[in-house]
Amino acid sequence: MRSSWVHRRDRRGVWFVAPFLLGFLLFMVVPLGYAIYTSLYTSRIIGGTVFTGASNYTQTLGSGLFWSGVIRVVIFAAIQIPVMLAIAFFFACVFDLGVAKFGTAFRTIFFIPFAVPAVVGAVMWSFLLEPQFGPFTRLASVLGFPNTNFFSPNLLLASIIVIVIWEWTGYNMMILYTALKSVPRDVVEAAILDDTPLWKIIVRIKLPLVRPAVVMLVFLNTIGALQLFTEPQILEYFEQGAVSVNYTPSYYIYQTAIAADETNLAAAMAVILAVIIVVISALSLIVRRRRGEFA
Amino acid sequence: MTVSTAPPPPAAPPAPPETRRQRRRRERLVARDSEIPVELYGLPRGTITLLTVLAFLFALFTLIPIAWILINSTKTQANIFETFGFWFASPFQFFHTFGLLFQNVDGYGTFIQWFGNTALYAVLGGGGATVLAAFAGYGLARFRFRGSRMTFYAIIGALLVPITALTVPLYLSYAKAHLINSIWGMVLPSMISPIGVYLMRTYADISVPRELIDAARIDGAGELRIFLRVALPLMVPGVLTVLLINVVAVWNNYFLPLLIFNVNTKYPLTVGLGLWSNRAVNSGNANLYPMLVVGGLVTIVPLIALFLILQRYWRGGMLLGSIAN
Repeated sequence: MRSSWVHRRDRRGVWFVAPFLLGFLLFMVVPLGYAIYTSLYTSRIIGGTVFTGASNYTQTLGSGLFWSGVIRVVIFAAIQIPVMLAIAFFFACVFDLGVAKFGTAFRTIFFIPFAVPAVVGAVMWSFLLEPQFGPFTRLASVLGFPNTNFFSPNLLLASIIVIVIWEWTGYNMMILYTALKSVPRDVVEAAILDDTPLWKIIVRIKLPLVRPAVVMLVFLNTIGALQLFTEPQILEYFEQGAVSVNYTPSYYIYQTAIAADETNLAAAMAVILAVIIVVISALSLIVRRRRGEFA
Repeated sequence: MTVSTAPPPPAAPPAPPETRRQRRRRERLVARDSEIPVELYGLPRGTITLLTVLAFLFALFTLIPIAWILINSTKTQANIFETFGFWFASPFQFFHTFGLLFQNVDGYGTFIQWFGNTALYAVLGGGGATVLAAFAGYGLARFRFRGSRMTFYAIIGALLVPITALTVPLYLSYAKAHLINSIWGMVLPSMISPIGVYLMRTYADISVPRELIDAARIDGAGELRIFLRVALPLMVPGVLTVLLINVVAVWNNYFLPLLIFNVNTKYPLTVGLGLWSNRAVNSGNANLYPMLVVGGLVTIVPLIALFLILQRYWRGGMLLGSIAN
């Protein structure tokens, strides 16, 4: 039983949380509520804004343009995240075991892109991949692939995957590295004394112990990947016509809200995108919790 | 840092203060001691060389764009496109282009103003977010009040909601509330960082002992005083990590300012540079590509410097501790 004295003390905690909570309500909950409200209306040139119920939702859900963007970011996530996490885990292990020279220097270098804004990262890569003069285009031509266009429909998604891998691998590696560092030393030592080969120690002992970190990274990266926006938008600025208006759902929402000025429709699309992402992440949480993976 | 309410430590002969070099050496020794000697792994000969080469190749991949932007910040527009991308070409134009960043060259905005805006948004937004998160995190970690559980679940829920889906509604509300082009429209939402609160709660939970708070209460200290004088000093490494995360988040934010600002005097660097990459293609001005390159370089230098300085305080592990709860 907690005494009433403790209880009174505890209530004062509200004042520590209140400022944040006020901002949270004003800048997250209220706008979200307003978006849901406004998504139920439609503005017409004649007749003004009228209540149209679910019509913006049915229009979005029936739109092939919207869904093709959703499918594209799902494909993007399905390739980019495993490749990035494999590289990040590999180097996290290498640095954790200390089996490469200059580990500290490499770790610092790998982490640098995290400090580079996505806009600047995308601009730099646009220059490097530029179809006429870009150094990578020239390199491809020297290697026997003349007229390579990294911004063509065939290669655009691959180019974006490379850019995003460049941006985020170091950050993911640092988190995995920190997790690996917390694996108890005696467990590994015992395995070594048993003559367990190194790869087995990594796969059988270390990987299971850092699984929560891997799961969290899959989760955070998925949320990020499904909202892909900055890189395609900058590429489109740089190479006009390379990126279609519906390339990713976020980009399509932006185009609908700003360029087409259909804010009610954009609000409905934003709500649908939020629901898709929340459902995907919540599902992965539930499945993992059932399997006892997510603590 | 002194904790005024804690009892004075028993008198011990004062140890001579550690010099910087001594501390580094001790830290290195401790670090080495926690590592298993590589010889014990029984690796085939050449493995270390092979892995070092692989790490070198990935470091090369990481540094290529950085090297490119450093080298090409010295070039003219023609040379950026026509000469070999990874070597210098005369004339050396860096200072000429750098000077242009202080002017409104083609009427679409001045780089240095965007830089100032970004710094302002990052300091107010990122700093404010950290202050709010430190208070809220401590409140959630050390008090149980009606609704504290609900608040915590709401914060976790907010982590799932995509930024895009929050920003578009924000933009729509601003249009209604006449907050388009207001710097507060940028700064205030930046101060709300659910991940910051989440991390601060975790960190406060591990780093601030309940007994210490109770002792301070028995001494008659008020709750605010206890937080500022007892808890906060213990939370410093966590606060710095959250500050770093928040400042970087505001500095790099693109989507919100892109939507809510339509006059170039309010732009942060990200929106300004994005606009330039568009203008450079369309306008005939031969300075815009070099300005884009030098501007990009000037944008990333402060952040990389900040990282290298704050690296020793970085508690990446905080992101992990949080999942165990």
